[in-house]
Amino acid sequence: MINLANLTKRYGDRLAVDDLTLSIRPGAVTGFLGPNGAGKSTTMRMILGLDRPTSGTALVCGRPYHEIERPLRTVGALLDARAVHPGRSVRGHLLALARSNGIPARRVAEVLERVGLAAAAGRRAGALSLGMSQRLGIAAALLGDPGVLMFDEPVNGLDPDGVRWVRNLMRSLAAEGRTVFVSSHLMSEMQLTADHLVVIGRGRLIADAPLADLLVATAVLVRSPHAGDLAVRLAAEGCEVVRRAENELVVTGAPVERIGDLAHEAGIRLHELSPREPSLEQAYQELTADSVEYRVSEGSAR
Amino acid sequence: MSGAIAAEWVKARTVRSTWTCLLAGAVLTVLGAVTLGGGRATELVREGVTGARLPATEGVVSAMAFAQFALVALAMLTVTSEYSSGSIRGTLQAVPVRGRVLAAKALVVAPVLFAAGVVSGALAAVANHALLAMPVFGGFGTLEPGRTAGDLLRLGVFCALAGVLTVGVGAAVRSAAGTLSVVFMLMMGLPLLLMMTGSQAAVELATRLPLFAGLAFMGSESNLTGGPIPYPAWQGLAWLVAWAALALAAGHAVLRRRDA
Ligand SMILES: Nc1ncnc2c1ncn2[C@@H]1O[C@H](COP(=O)(O)OP(=O)(O)O)[C@@H](O)[C@H]1O
Ligand SMILES: [Mg+2]
Repeated sequence: MINLANLTKRYGDRLAVDDLTLSIRPGAVTGFLGPNGAGKSTTMRMILGLDRPTSGTALVCGRPYHEIERPLRTVGALLDARAVHPGRSVRGHLLALARSNGIPARRVAEVLERVGLAAAAGRRAGALSLGMSQRLGIAAALLGDPGVLMFDEPVNGLDPDGVRWVRNLMRSLAAEGRTVFVSSHLMSEMQLTADHLVVIGRGRLIADAPLADLLVATAVLVRSPHAGDLAVRLAAEGCEVVRRAENELVVTGAPVERIGDLAHEAGIRLHELSPREPSLEQAYQELTADSVEYRVSEGSAR
Repeated sequence: MSGAIAAEWVKARTVRSTWTCLLAGAVLTVLGAVTLGGGRATELVREGVTGARLPATEGVVSAMAFAQFALVALAMLTVTSEYSSGSIRGTLQAVPVRGRVLAAKALVVAPVLFAAGVVSGALAAVANHALLAMPVFGGFGTLEPGRTAGDLLRLGVFCALAGVLTVGVGAAVRSAAGTLSVVFMLMMGLPLLLMMTGSQAAVELATRLPLFAGLAFMGSESNLTGGPIPYPAWQGLAWLVAWAALALAAGHAVLRRRDA
C-alpha cells in the first residue's frame, strides 16, 4: 500500500510533481502512465525517500520510507537498471544489498535463478547488456521478498521475450497479493499489464481509474439496419448513443463485447461493430494532449 | 547498523580499485621510505659520521605523507563511485538513514586504512632496515621493537583518520575530482603554501591543518615542517580527529539536505 497526499516537487522554478494525491492498492498491478518528463521517476524517488518533497507526503505501509527498518524487506524498487558499480560482480552487488538488510545470502542465488541470471553471477555489472541489467535490477527488487514493488520503465531495453517475461512477473506478483506500481510512457504496454491506471502529465494527476473504466470510455462504432431499436436498448443500459446516420451509431459507456451481446439478445443484426480507437493509445493521447511538455508542431515535423 | 557495515565491507572488497589502491599505497610507502632512509644514511656517510643510529622507521612517516594519497583514493572511491555510477540510490534505498550510511562507510574505511598503514609501514621498515644495515649505508640501521611498533601504530591511526576525513569530504562534494582537490589542499597544498608565506599567523594555522597535525602526532622531525611543530603529539592527534569529525559533519549535512 502506497499513499501519496498532496505530493509536490519543485526543482528551481520547474514543478516536476504537482499536488498528487492517490493510493496504490495491494493485489493489483497499478500502471503509472505519462509522457516523458511527466514526473513519474520523481514521484517514485520521493516515495523511496531519495528526493525530499517540496510539500506533501508519501507513505509506504503507513510510514515514511526512512522510518522503515530493513526497508528492502518491505519495498523493492527498480529505478535505473544501469545505476550499479560497473566493476562489481552481479553476485557482489546483490550480496551487499542482502547484507545491508539482514537478508540471508542464499536469497542472492534464488533471485538470480528467478530472473534468469544465474549463469551471469560472476560477471561484472558493467559488462551486462541493458536487458540483463534490467533483470539484475528486478532481482535486486525481489531480494527481500517485499510486499510492495515499484518498477520504473522496466521493459526498456528488453527483447520481446523479456517484455513478456516482465509482464507475467508483474501479474504473478500482484496475484500473490503484493502492491505492484509500474511506470511506463507507453499505453500499449500498460494495457496488457495493468489492472488500474494512474495517468499523469506535467506532474498533475489526469486519471486514476481501473483499466476497464478507461476502456469503456472508448467510443464504439455500430452499424445496423435496426439502429433505432438498438439505440433505445443501449440508452436503457446507460450508454451514451449518438446517431450519426440512418443505420450508424457511436456508442460510449460499454465495451464492444457488451454491445455485441446486447444486440444478440435483442436479435438485432449488426453490420459493423468496431472500437473507434484501436487501443487506449488514442484515449491516452487525448488525456495527456495538453500536458506533453515539448510537442513537435505539425509544421516543424516535416 | 551492523548490516550497513557488512554491506559496505562487501562493497569495498568486491571492486578491484580497493586492492589496487592498497597495493599502490604499500609500494609508494616502501619506495619513499628507502629513498629517504637511504638518502639520510648517505648524507651521514659523506659527512664522515660513524656510529650513527637510524631507526628502521626513518623516513617512513615522511613517505606516508605522500603515499597516503593512494589510501585516500580508496576512501574517496567508497563514496564518489556511488555517485558516479548512481548506485547511491540503491544504497540509500537499502539504508535510508543518512547518518547510518556515512557511519558504516567510515567504520569500514577506518580499520582497512589502519591495517594498510601498519602493513605498508612495516614493509617499509623491513626494507629500510635491510638497506641501512648494509656497510655502504654506514650500517646505521637499528631495530628497536618497541619504538617500531609504536611508530607503526601511529602511522595506522593517521591513515585511518585521513580515510575518515576523506569519506566526509566525499559525501559533501560527491565528485571524485572535487573530493581529491579538497583533500589534497587540506593534507598537502594548503599547509605547504601557508608555510611558504613565512608569516607567523600562517605558520600557526598551517601546523593545525591535518598534514602537520599528523606529522606532530607521528613524532616526525621531518624537514617538511621546516622546524619543530609547536605542540605535543597528543594535540596533533586531537587536531586530526577534529578535522575528520568536521568533514564527517559536513558530509552528513549535505547527505541529509540534498536529494540523492
Ligand atoms: N534532479 C532534477 N533537477 C531538475 N529537474 C529535474 C530533476 N529531475 C527531474 N527533473 C525535471 O522534472 C520533470 C519530471 O521528470 P521525471 O520525473 O524524470 O519524468 P518522467 O520519469 O515521467 O519522464 C522533468 O521536467 C525533468 O526535467
Ligand atoms: Mg522517468
